[in-house]
Amino acid sequence: MSIICFNEVHFTYPGSETETLKGINLNIEEGSFVAVLGHNGSGKSTLAKHMNSILVPDSGTVTVAGIDTADENRILDVRSTVGMVFQNPDNQIVANVVEEDVAFAPENLGIPSEEIRTRVDDALARVGMTEFARHAPHLLSGGQKQRVAIAGVIAMRPRIIVLDEPTAMLDPQGRREVVSTVEHLCRDTGITAVLITHHMDECVNADRLIVMSAGQIIADGKPSEVFSQVELMDKEGLTVPETVRLMYDLNSRGFSLPLGVTGMKDCAQFVKTALMN
Amino acid sequence: MLKDVTLGQYFPGDTIVHRLDPRTKILLVVLYIVALFQAKWWVSYAIVIAVAGLSMALSHISVKNMFKGLKPMIFIICLTAVLNIFYTQGTPVLPGWIITWEGIERAIQMVLRIVLLITGTFLLTYTTSPIALTDGLELLMNPLKKIRVPVHEMTMMMSMALRFIPTLIEETDKIMSAQKARGADFENGSLVQRAKALLPILVPLFVSAFRRADELAVAMESRCYHGGEGRTRMKKLQFAANDILALVLGILFLAGMILLRVFGL
Repeated sequence: MSIICFNEVHFTYPGSETETLKGINLNIEEGSFVAVLGHNGSGKSTLAKHMNSILVPDSGTVTVAGIDTADENRILDVRSTVGMVFQNPDNQIVANVVEEDVAFAPENLGIPSEEIRTRVDDALARVGMTEFARHAPHLLSGGQKQRVAIAGVIAMRPRIIVLDEPTAMLDPQGRREVVSTVEHLCRDTGITAVLITHHMDECVNADRLIVMSAGQIIADGKPSEVFSQVELMDKEGLTVPETVRLMYDLNSRGFSLPLGVTGMKDCAQFVKTALMN
Repeated sequence: MLKDVTLGQYFPGDTIVHRLDPRTKILLVVLYIVALFQAKWWVSYAIVIAVAGLSMALSHISVKNMFKGLKPMIFIICLTAVLNIFYTQGTPVLPGWIITWEGIERAIQMVLRIVLLITGTFLLTYTTSPIALTDGLELLMNPLKKIRVPVHEMTMMMSMALRFIPTLIEETDKIMSAQKARGADFENGSLVQRAKALLPILVPLFVSAFRRADELAVAMESRCYHGGEGRTRMKKLQFAANDILALVLGILFLAGMILLRVFGL
């Protein structure tokens, strides 16, 4: 069942000449892990902000779990259904102690104290930050801060978690931490995850990959299907994973290898068999 | 240099003082300050020093940390001392000198008063986490909501400000390094020149602070923040036996100080 539905969504920022979203139609299945890829200015962050009614469409509709995001009376329902994690971890942590920060959203929702306690402990355990519960957030590493931010969102018990370039300011180590946390959350708890990014390698394990350019969806499908459209990716200036690039280059020299392979081992296997013949 | 800022700093711990309800501690500090201003003579100063020392010992805050907090105030303390020494009328120390015995006595008392005042309030912030502190303030000021004072908003702003102190300090350090790398000079020149040199630090700092505020607001709204209405807390504040005991002792202390003042000690 679709949990997020975009229907002919158009959006222009006030004071801007060009449309940022040019008629988006999109359905996201509950429980899936969706990656959205695109360049700066492709409209992918704008798309994310439409999912929890920080922005509402100029025309068209966005519905989340059956609720219209433009309905001002139900804004809290929308926001507690869709949790958002942003790019800069420093600018979304509100408290001086990790567990107090994680408690912020449930406190806003008016949940009883004992229940908040269990939710906070549970959320911290899910992102593997239990041992840092009493720490000061500003002393943590970037990846850890971002995991705290994720915990702060899942303490709301949302059905969807949208991450708007959560790894853009992190080192490779922090990026791996964050992406694997998101993958685990999605696989283990059945939460729907939407990961906005411009790193290709973060998308390989997604169920579905959407590529955006200039306010439109230009490719949509399984990561392997999307990656195999190497010419399109090149035209958009997006780097395909190295395995796909290798296969593509080999193909242009007369081999015929499948392009949809993203796993390192599978790729090696295919190249080996091709070279043996 | 910027790492030394102790304003609003909290030393985590698990002492009797740390465990007191923040409301109790705020009230105690108020009582302490009123009591301190009752002190007129050496006996009463000695008692206040003893009380401050005892509280420090109970909260395991080292004298070193306490003096670190006093460092930024040294200028004001010295100025007070000098002014009092030179501008108090009375019997000169040596015939013809402007310095009087009364002046020296007054100077020592004024310095003591400032040091004790700072020590007492620092003890509050050193032993209470900023969140607990603002929670306590909010609850104490709750009655003011009736006359439409935006208590929740004020305390929220305070806790945000405290939360962002370390972040902004880090940022200032970064900007300073960046400007130094471009040849900015903060150490040399006259006072006016050095003040002017701070401008290239302040402008980017303000710009980024505004951008942060904007992002923070969106993040808070995304986490369903909608003001103080209907908000619950994870840690409910509760008065325990210790709090009542501490408050009774605080009131007795103030009463004692008032008595001493009446008797002119």
